[in-house]
Amino acid sequence: MTRSIARIVTIVGQPILEGRNLSYTYENGYTVFTKVDVETCENELVAIVGPSGIGKSTLLRILGGFIKPATGEVRLLGKKVEQPTPEIALIHQSIVTFPWMTALENVMLGLRSKRKTRQEMESAARKMLEVVGLQGFEELYPKEMSGGMRQRVAIARALAAEPIVLLMDEPFSHLDELTAEGLRQEIYSMLFGTESTLRSAVLVSHNLNEVLELADKVYVLNGSPATVVGTLKIELERPRNSKDPRFVEYLDLLYKYLTPVRGVKQ
Amino acid sequence: MNQLALIALAVLATTLRVFVLIVLSIVSGWLLGYLAFKNARFESFYVLFIEVLESVPVISFFPIALIFFVNRIGGVLGVELAADFLVFTAVVWNIWIGIYQAYKTIPKEMLEVVENYGLGFFGRLSGLFIPFSIPRIVSNLFPSVADGFFYITVSEVFAVGSTSYSVFGIGSLLQNYLSENEWKLVYASMLVMALVIVATVFALREFSALAVAKYALDTDVPIMRRGRVRIRYSVLFSQLVSRNPLHKLSIYQWRSVIRRAQQTSFVQTKAKNRFQRVVRYGVFSALISLVLLIAYGVIEVLVTIPLDQWHSLIVSTPSLLVDLAFDYARVGVIALVSFVIAVTLGYYLAVNKSAEAIGIPLIQVLSAYPAPLYFPFVFALSFEIVRSSLGPLSVDFYVVLLGFVSTFYYVFYSFWMGVKSLPHEYWEIMKNLRLGFFQRMRKIVLPASFPYLISGISSTINSAWGGLMLAEYWPNIVDGKTLTVKHGLMKIIDLSTYTGNVSQAAWGSFIFGIVVVVYSLLFTKRMMVIARKRYVAEEGIYAA
Repeated sequence: MTRSIARIVTIVGQPILEGRNLSYTYENGYTVFTKVDVETCENELVAIVGPSGIGKSTLLRILGGFIKPATGEVRLLGKKVEQPTPEIALIHQSIVTFPWMTALENVMLGLRSKRKTRQEMESAARKMLEVVGLQGFEELYPKEMSGGMRQRVAIARALAAEPIVLLMDEPFSHLDELTAEGLRQEIYSMLFGTESTLRSAVLVSHNLNEVLELADKVYVLNGSPATVVGTLKIELERPRNSKDPRFVEYLDLLYKYLTPVRGVKQ
Repeated sequence: MNQLALIALAVLATTLRVFVLIVLSIVSGWLLGYLAFKNARFESFYVLFIEVLESVPVISFFPIALIFFVNRIGGVLGVELAADFLVFTAVVWNIWIGIYQAYKTIPKEMLEVVENYGLGFFGRLSGLFIPFSIPRIVSNLFPSVADGFFYITVSEVFAVGSTSYSVFGIGSLLQNYLSENEWKLVYASMLVMALVIVATVFALREFSALAVAKYALDTDVPIMRRGRVRIRYSVLFSQLVSRNPLHKLSIYQWRSVIRRAQQTSFVQTKAKNRFQRVVRYGVFSALISLVLLIAYGVIEVLVTIPLDQWHSLIVSTPSLLVDLAFDYARVGVIALVSFVIAVTLGYYLAVNKSAEAIGIPLIQVLSAYPAPLYFPFVFALSFEIVRSSLGPLSVDFYVVLLGFVSTFYYVFYSFWMGVKSLPHEYWEIMKNLRLGFFQRMRKIVLPASFPYLISGISSTINSAWGGLMLAEYWPNIVDGKTLTVKHGLMKIIDLSTYTGNVSQAAWGSFIFGIVVVVYSLLFTKRMMVIARKRYVAEEGIYAA
């Protein structure tokens, strides 16, 4: 599961995932965003924020190849992304597990596209469950788990597919605040630990505290059609403290970009 | 009278029968469902009553229809009521249980609101219960119409002993034309029927679209100002069967109920209560009458059979069970073929929008077109080829074929709806992980659609008996040929009716009914319990 030498060697400064000149128009003719450029670099967690209905989740699905943009293109390590691939894994806002599979079987599903024996798959899945803190819960069914545990299973399944980029669509929004905070504190080390093949991650959220706690870079979307109205590089040491004056400064800056909400009726 | 006008009138009469009986089922379902919802004792009786009778194939009611309506009432009215009774028993159970289940899923909060604002019986029904049940009714409407057409064309003309009974409709008219070799009129009748079926299917699709657009909020279905909506079938059925739309609907209805309640009196009058009681007792009496009617038919048969005949009936039981085993084997083949086609064609149509846009309406039209009308032509065209290639199995081939064409769509639709209602997140994960067809099927699609499949297979099995009943003994199917099998309980029942041996027909139906109910309780119900316990895809989506 450790990174291969071939994968580590990248051209210096080459983005991991990049979206250029992206725009999207709904079937009814409404262009939700336009001219959006997004870029993620090595070991970078990038966040996309914006008011509700601005097209954040749509943009995330375009980055994953699930939806085709009206204009522009997405590239992963320089190669055009034209359809969904296990190299770009998506974590949903609604926590998705398969109720007829145990936690272990759910994670093993992520390894189906790999050419591995059942034993190898099982061992890799166990390791991933350990990474997300679910050692000892392998045989439980999703219904026997809390929401937080289920989201850990979903993360383990995504990481088991050995992705290069992880896309997270408000992954904590269906968890209670305490569980969400616990998971937020652990997720960075889960994603970029030695067991993971991940090179960068994209997080969509409208929880600005969450974004500042996790992200290295933030793209702010606003307007109608939406464009990137600001890009912030968050230069705060980890673990981050929301009471840190610089944290508060960043927060104020984000609010400035986001108010007034333009173009989207609330 | 001009023959074309006569054909048009006959088609109209048949169609009208089907729709009147469906409306009757819906209205009685609303009232009985409400009674069951309000009264725990009645509820347990009602659910058991439907569960048992739902698993009894329509043909089991045939002796009752004969004895009560034809013998006791008699005349045109008796025959008309017998035909209507058979169609009613074909369409009613699905609709009743659908409405009851819809009532049971009304959110507690909404019920508290209607109680809080003191809405009366009609206020509750019209403001909450009826609108809430509409998506369920719509989802049951199409199979009910198809079933109704199948059984009405069979029931419009039947023979008991030397007496032939018929009511005016396309089934009986076609029979006349066939016996008089009026081929042009036969073709004209079939064409007019086809046009009506196509119009009915498209009208139902539009109605379904309107109903879902109106009652399921928060969808991507726009409510257009002029009342006409465009909807993809995928949206329609995923909205119908998943849990979320009902909740969305509940939110919508909640608002309208509050609005309405704010305009009405908060105090229920005594007169209102009295009226509600009258309605409840009326509805309850109607249901009891239905039970009594069935009991009457059974008792009537019991008392008219002499003792020595009882002996011969009981002695014939083992042989009847062997005949039933042959029929179960045929039904098994029908279910298996239907299953294989459903999971391949159903999946293909579910994931391919352009094929779906043509394929689904086409299958709907074909399945709604009553097989008894066109099957003799299929038989005439293919008999020589089938006989030369299948030899002694050719008769069984036709029996299975008729059973298949008349019931295939149950499992097909169920599976197709199951695939369409897969949470979109599951599709994204399958694409994301690049799972192949067999991996998708084995790991996700089949397990997620398991409850739908079980329900579809069970309906296919229950309905296949109607096709078997027709095909196992079909005198003069074409050119004086008689289609008949060597072994088969349906043949025995059919032949006994045809020769006027009602007690043998009733005894065969009784044995059959018991076996089917036991099978249903032991197998189908158990499968449904497993499906509910583990294979509910919506439970895999955790959204607080």
